[in-house]
Amino acid sequence: MAVLNNKKSKVSDEVPTSSMADIAFLLLIFFLVTTVFPKDSGLAIVLPEEAEEVEVSQKNILHIIVNPNGIVTLRRGESQQEQQVRPSDMEGIWRQEIASNPNLIAAVKTHPDAAYRFMIDVLDALQTAGAERISLQLLEG
Amino acid sequence: MAIKQGGFERKSKTSDEIPSSSLADIAFLLLIFFMVTTVFRTDRDRPIEWPQAEATEKIDEKKKNILNIWVERDGSVWMNDRPYAMNDLAPTVAPLYASSDRHLVISVRSDREVPYRFIDQIQEQLVAAGVVRVVFATELERSMTRERR
Repeated sequence: MAVLNNKKSKVSDEVPTSSMADIAFLLLIFFLVTTVFPKDSGLAIVLPEEAEEVEVSQKNILHIIVNPNGIVTLRRGESQQEQQVRPSDMEGIWRQEIASNPNLIAAVKTHPDAAYRFMIDVLDALQTAGAERISLQLLEG
Repeated sequence: MAIKQGGFERKSKTSDEIPSSSLADIAFLLLIFFMVTTVFRTDRDRPIEWPQAEATEKIDEKKKNILNIWVERDGSVWMNDRPYAMNDLAPTVAPLYASSDRHLVISVRSDREVPYRFIDQIQEQLVAAGVVRVVFATELERSMTRERR
């Protein structure tokens, strides 16, 4: 054995990095596939506390009755006069009503058989018009 | 002078390979982005058709403080991948609300065709549980879709 400085091992003394990109891409694809961007949006309301009942003067109430066919019946306070409107017309109506009476409360009474989306249409119109005092009830009788 | 490469001289010194040394960096950057933004779902989506509303806005609360209550078209109620009877909602939600330090927001995710009586019952249950912040989950409706209807 004449050669002294003979390398004994052919194994490289560096960390193998050639597969790093593969590993990274594998993880990348995993996260790409599993990522679900949260879809949390909707119409926010604040429910009343339990047993919190406030007497409201009839003249400050706008009764909004949502019928099963989606047509909205309007009744102002004590008057028995009724008006039939479409949910999309509610936005303009509310803007007019609130301008003449700033204390007005929207009492949305929905028929038990009316589809949820009709109530949402009305609530949407009211919130778009900036209504803050909204009462959601089930139509009785 | 010896003739190299059949007499043709290489004119450009640029490499003819796609530079791949930064590939791993790019991959890791994207990887870290997705790792940070990923939110693993707490519950599975129920098959519902979303109602649409123009006034839709994002819920301003942390993900862990949002509890989804699903109402399917037949009126069945689901919470955290389990069906619930209507009367069991209040006793289930009340302790969750207390443990969240009154920060819990209920997201009512209901099918658009559900009769309103079910929604009213849910509201009653939530009032009984003491919850005040409720969101009716909707899809953002653009004015274009409204006109088409």
